[in-house]
Amino acid sequence: MDPMASDAGFDVGDRLPASSGWEFVCDFEVDYGSEEHAKIVYATLTVDKELQPDKVKRQMSISDGKLKVHFEAVEARFLRASFSAFVDLMILTTQIIEEYN
Amino acid sequence: MAAKKTLIAVGFEGSANKIGVGLVVLDGTILSNPRHTYITPSGHGFLPRETAHHHLRHLLPLLRSALSGAGITRADVDCLCYTKGPSIGAPLQVSAVAAVRALSQLWEKPIVAVNHCVAHIEMGRVVTGAEDPVVLCVSRGNTLISYSEGKYRIFGGTIDIAVGNCLDRFAGVFTLSNDPSPGYNIEQVCSLYFCFKNARCVIHVERIIHVYLICNLGFSMLKIVVTYYRVKGSAIILCTYDLPTVKGVKFMDLPYVVKGMNVSFSGILSYIEATAVEKLKNNECTPADLCYSVQETVCAMLVEIIERAMAHCDKKDVLIVGGVGCNDRLQELMRVMCSERGGKLFATDDRYCIDNGAMIAYTGLLAFAHGMTTPLEESTFTQRVANFKEKLTLKEEQYRHHNPCLEAPISHQSVIYIASLAFAQMLLYCYHGDMWYPYSLTNIN
Repeated sequence: MDPMASDAGFDVGDRLPASSGWEFVCDFEVDYGSEEHAKIVYATLTVDKELQPDKVKRQMSISDGKLKVHFEAVEARFLRASFSAFVDLMILTTQIIEEYN
Repeated sequence: MAAKKTLIAVGFEGSANKIGVGLVVLDGTILSNPRHTYITPSGHGFLPRETAHHHLRHLLPLLRSALSGAGITRADVDCLCYTKGPSIGAPLQVSAVAAVRALSQLWEKPIVAVNHCVAHIEMGRVVTGAEDPVVLCVSRGNTLISYSEGKYRIFGGTIDIAVGNCLDRFAGVFTLSNDPSPGYNIEQVCSLYFCFKNARCVIHVERIIHVYLICNLGFSMLKIVVTYYRVKGSAIILCTYDLPTVKGVKFMDLPYVVKGMNVSFSGILSYIEATAVEKLKNNECTPADLCYSVQETVCAMLVEIIERAMAHCDKKDVLIVGGVGCNDRLQELMRVMCSERGGKLFATDDRYCIDNGAMIAYTGLLAFAHGMTTPLEESTFTQRVANFKEKLTLKEEQYRHHNPCLEAPISHQSVIYIASLAFAQMLLYCYHGDMWYPYSLTNIN
């Protein structure tokens, strides 16, 4: 259940749909092994919107107990900042679930 | 399980460099209230991201210790309260929002969002039992006076930086220790001097070793102190003789800026950062002189505007809340002023003055007892509570801002307004029943 140890499939790339401007993309998923837990994490983290929606976009979805997250950003530094802040909170949420489930 | 007699709330406070979890009963009894402070190196302030990481690490251990300290389980908890703001985004988000949202789903308990300044005041009132005081809220982020007359109103505040911020940055100039807080250590430098001057010295050295060094104590004395400190973990020194190495502290004139009901602290800071640093280099003054002068000036300014507020609204009592409220000198001056006016000073010690979880829990529980909760989707946090602004027209707001004592109730429910000018933010509160709430919490027509 530890997000860092899960089968997270990281896919960070600077592919080139340059026209759109959203060149920096990051996809990952965390397998919580439980639809309910994934939903709690989703509901917890979805409330806070990205602070700079013109620079970073975040999409989340749940399927089969997995939380899938998709980031898009116009610059690598925005992607990095948003991603790391998000993961910090995701880890805390996961720890809370582990402790108080 | 036996029927529950009373409501219990958990409060999460993490708006600045402290993270705290408090468990409180509706009558104000604090079951447990642990907290942990992020201490930065001397001369540095705390950065949002690093502070957030500190909170991430300490949140769960604090929650565990709060629950075990209170001897209750999650089943006994009625609501989860958190600091909505105003403060720095990242720490707020970590400590309160993520934790409270996740717990609320796991424990199936409602969430209550709490305003930080309101919590300070409500906690101060319940702890001291002050009935209808003029309130001075002084902390790192806020400096404001308000009074209540069936509703809270802002009477004045700082027009630039908050008093705590001023003290922090002042301490930073001398790289005073940030442990436990810069303001505390400034006070220690001052009291240290007076201790020696009166030749009856009682010094608690648990945390002020650093202060000793800048006070230019005699080496032998210092050595004794440090040795004792190392052995015992803390040291109390009694000396019955005057130390010749400590010179008399002198008061320096600093910019004393009181404009009507408002104060300004930035001038003091500029003076210290520019002129005083030069004077120090040329040995025209000592750090102790400066600590003493800053403390005296700042406290005198606050006492002056408070006295004016008391005269204006014909109140006798004063309640001081917020982190800077622990300052003994501020309390001492205020106490003298209050007693001269036939009133009383209500102040709390550092357990309640400094940000803590219990104040959030208590204030949230009051709202909860009145049926107010915050839906999960709306459990956001905010650096400024400026979004409350939209509920009033700008004109009304400006009017109220400049003539706070003339304001009339807008509707049957009194609208209360607090401007925390340190953040250039406007907060709105509603008075309903016997309590007051952030405007967003009340959906009463």
